[in-house]
Amino acid sequence: MRRIVSSLVDGRGFDILLVGVTMLFLLVMAGLPLVYNVLMSFQQVDMFTLGAWVRPWAGWDNYRAVLSQPEFPLVMRNTAVFVFGSIAGQFVLGFAFALFFMLRFPFAATIRGLFLVSWVMPGLVVGAIWSWMLAGDYGVVNAILSGMGLVDRPLFWKSDPGLSIWAVTVANIWLGLAFNMLLLSVGLAAIPRDLYEAAELDGAGAAQRFATITLPMMRSTIGAVLALGLIYTLQQFDLFPAITEGGPANSSNVAQYWAWQWSFQVFDFAKGATVSVMMLAFVLVAAAAYVWSTRSEVRG
Amino acid sequence: MTPQIEISGVDKHYGAYHALKDINLTIPKGRFVALVGPSGCGKSTLLRSIAGLETISSGTMRIAGESMAGVPPRRRDVAMVFQSYALYPHMTVLGNLTYSLRFKQVAKAEARRRADEVASTIGLTQLLHRYPRELSGGQRQRVAMGRAIIREPKAFLFDEPLSNLDAALRVHMRMEIRALHDRLNATSVYVTHDQIEAMTMADHVVVMRDGRIEQQGEPLELYDRPANRFVAGFIGSPAMNFVEGTVEPDGASVRLGLPGGPVLPLGRRAEPGRPVTVGLRPEHLRVDPAGAQMRLTVRAVESTGSMTYTTTESEPELMLVAQGRGGLGPGDAAPLCIDPGNIHLFDRETGLTL
Ligand SMILES: Nc1ncnc2c1ncn2[C@@H]1O[C@H](COP(=O)(O)OP(=O)(O)O)[C@@H](O)[C@H]1O
Ligand SMILES: [Mg+2]
Repeated sequence: MRRIVSSLVDGRGFDILLVGVTMLFLLVMAGLPLVYNVLMSFQQVDMFTLGAWVRPWAGWDNYRAVLSQPEFPLVMRNTAVFVFGSIAGQFVLGFAFALFFMLRFPFAATIRGLFLVSWVMPGLVVGAIWSWMLAGDYGVVNAILSGMGLVDRPLFWKSDPGLSIWAVTVANIWLGLAFNMLLLSVGLAAIPRDLYEAAELDGAGAAQRFATITLPMMRSTIGAVLALGLIYTLQQFDLFPAITEGGPANSSNVAQYWAWQWSFQVFDFAKGATVSVMMLAFVLVAAAAYVWSTRSEVRG
Repeated sequence: MTPQIEISGVDKHYGAYHALKDINLTIPKGRFVALVGPSGCGKSTLLRSIAGLETISSGTMRIAGESMAGVPPRRRDVAMVFQSYALYPHMTVLGNLTYSLRFKQVAKAEARRRADEVASTIGLTQLLHRYPRELSGGQRQRVAMGRAIIREPKAFLFDEPLSNLDAALRVHMRMEIRALHDRLNATSVYVTHDQIEAMTMADHVVVMRDGRIEQQGEPLELYDRPANRFVAGFIGSPAMNFVEGTVEPDGASVRLGLPGGPVLPLGRRAEPGRPVTVGLRPEHLRVDPAGAQMRLTVRAVESTGSMTYTTTESEPELMLVAQGRGGLGPGDAAPLCIDPGNIHLFDRETGLTL
C-alpha cells in the first residue's frame, strides 16, 4: 500500500494519475457529447428515441437531406460572409487599434482597458444594443450615415435581405474587436524596441518596418488570433436571436443558428446534429492549418 | 577638411531631467572616439542623438558637414551596434547582413556578393544560413558588426558592444574591432563604461559625468594630465589614491594628512598654506628603504604572480602596485616614496587640477 502511495506522490504514478484525470474529464465533458452528436447525425431520431443510444441507422440520409434543402446554399453563403467578414473586420480594426495604442500617449493603457467592456458584455445585450442602433427608422447608425451624407434614405439593416447578414456581422465585429486588439497588443509589446531602431538605422521606413519586422514577428500571434476568431465566430449564437432571428427569409441565417432551428424549432435533432458535425469538420481543418502554421515558430 | 561628426552646444532634456549639458565634440574622419563614464552619465543618450534615435533639445549636429536637424535616422547613413545586438530573430545571418541593402535597391546577386565578402572579413562564412538563436554570444556580436560593416556608413556607433561577452573574448574583440576600424578607414564612436576599453581602443577619449564632458583628449594625455579629480580617479586602474594635504609655507612641498605628516617636495611652486587634495597613482608609489618619504604599516598584500597590490593601514588607505612579488607582508612598515613629477594636486573645493 505504501509503495503504491509513494509511487503516486513522487514517481511516474502521480504523472499518470494527473494525465488520467484530465483525460477522463475531457472524455466525459467534451468527448462523449461529441461522439453522441456524430452518432446522432447517422441515426433516425424522433421525440420518442431522444434519450437512447441505439436508434435506427440512417447512414448518409441526414447529410443528403440537409444538402438538398433549398436554403442550404444561402445558409452556407451567409455563414461564409459572417465568418470571413467578422474575422477580417475584427482583425484589421483590432490590429489598427493595437498599433494605435502602442503610441505612448497619456492614458493609453486605461483607454485600451475600457475597450474590454465590449468583450465582457453578454452577446444578447450587445445584440439588443445593436438591434436598437441599427433600427431602420430611429436607429443611430442611419442618423450618422445620413448626417455624413453617405446615404440619402434610411437603410433597413434588419429587414432588407441584402443587408441583414451584415447587420449581425457588424455587431459581431464590435463584439470581437477588443479581444483581437488585446491579443495583438500583447504580441506587439513582445517585439523588442531595438529591432525597430536597428531597422530604422538600416534604412527601413515605417511601412517597411511593419512589413519586415512587425508582421513576421507576429506570425504566431496572428495565427492564434485568426484561429480563435474563427472558433468564436462559429460559436456566435446570441446575436442572431437578438437582431434578425436569421431572417428575413433566411437571408441572415448561418449554420450554427440553422442547427439550433433544426433541433429546437423543428425538433429534427438528427438534422441539427448533422449541421453541427459539418461545422465541426470545417473547424478541425482550420485548427489543423493553425497548428501547422505555428509548427516552425521563429522567436528570439 | 570638414570633420565627419561635429557636435556643438548640444543639450538634451527628458522632461525636467537634463541628460546632456552643452556637449561639444568634433570627430575627424578616420578617428576612433570612446565615450566613457559611469553608468547613467548620458553616453548612450549622446550616441543615440548622433544616430537620430533621440532628438536633441538644442545645439547643432553635423555629419559629413550636413546639418542633422530634422533628418530621420534612416537618412543619416550611420550604423549602430547595439549592446543587445538587436539581430532580426526571424532572419538568417545572411538576411540580417543584407537587410539594409533591400532599401538601397541593391540587386540580389550584388547583395549576396557583398554579404560573402563581409562574412569572410569577420569569419561568418560558415554561419550564413543559421538563425540568430543558433549562434553563440560571440557569433551574434560578429553578425551585429557585419550588419554595420556591409553598409559602408559614414560612421559606426557602438553602444557597449562587448559587455555581454566573457572576459577573454572581450579582450580579443577589443583588438579585432580596432583592427577592423583601421582596415576600413572608418569613423567610430564607441560607448563604454570600462575605461580600459576606452584607453586601449581609442585615439580620442571623452570622459563624461552627469551629462557633461569632463575632459577629452588622447588616452595618455588624460592619464598624465587629468583636468580634475573626477577624471584622475576614473582613468587608471587601480584608481588613483587621494589624500588631503596642505601646501607648506615654502610653497614647494605639500604635507599629507597621513600618519607622521609626511612632507613631499613638489618640484614646482604652489600657493603656500593652500588646502589641496593630493593624487598619487598606485603605480607611482615606490618601496625604497633608502629614499623613504613616509613609512606606512601594511594591511594586506595581494599578488597575481606578476603584480603585487599592497594596501596600507593608514586613513585614508593607500594602494600601491608593483611588478613582481615584493618583500612586504602585513604589519610591516613600508618605506614609500614618489617622484615630484608624479604628484597631482587638486583644489579641495572645486576638484580642478592645480
Ligand atoms: N527616455 C528617457 N526618459 C527619461 N530619462 C531618460 C531616458 N533615457 C535615458 N534617460 C536618463 O538619462 C540619463 C542618461 O542615460 P544614458 O544615456 O542611457 O546613460 P549611460 O551613460 O549609462 O548610457 C539616465 O539618468 C537616464 O535615466
Ligand atoms: Mg548606456
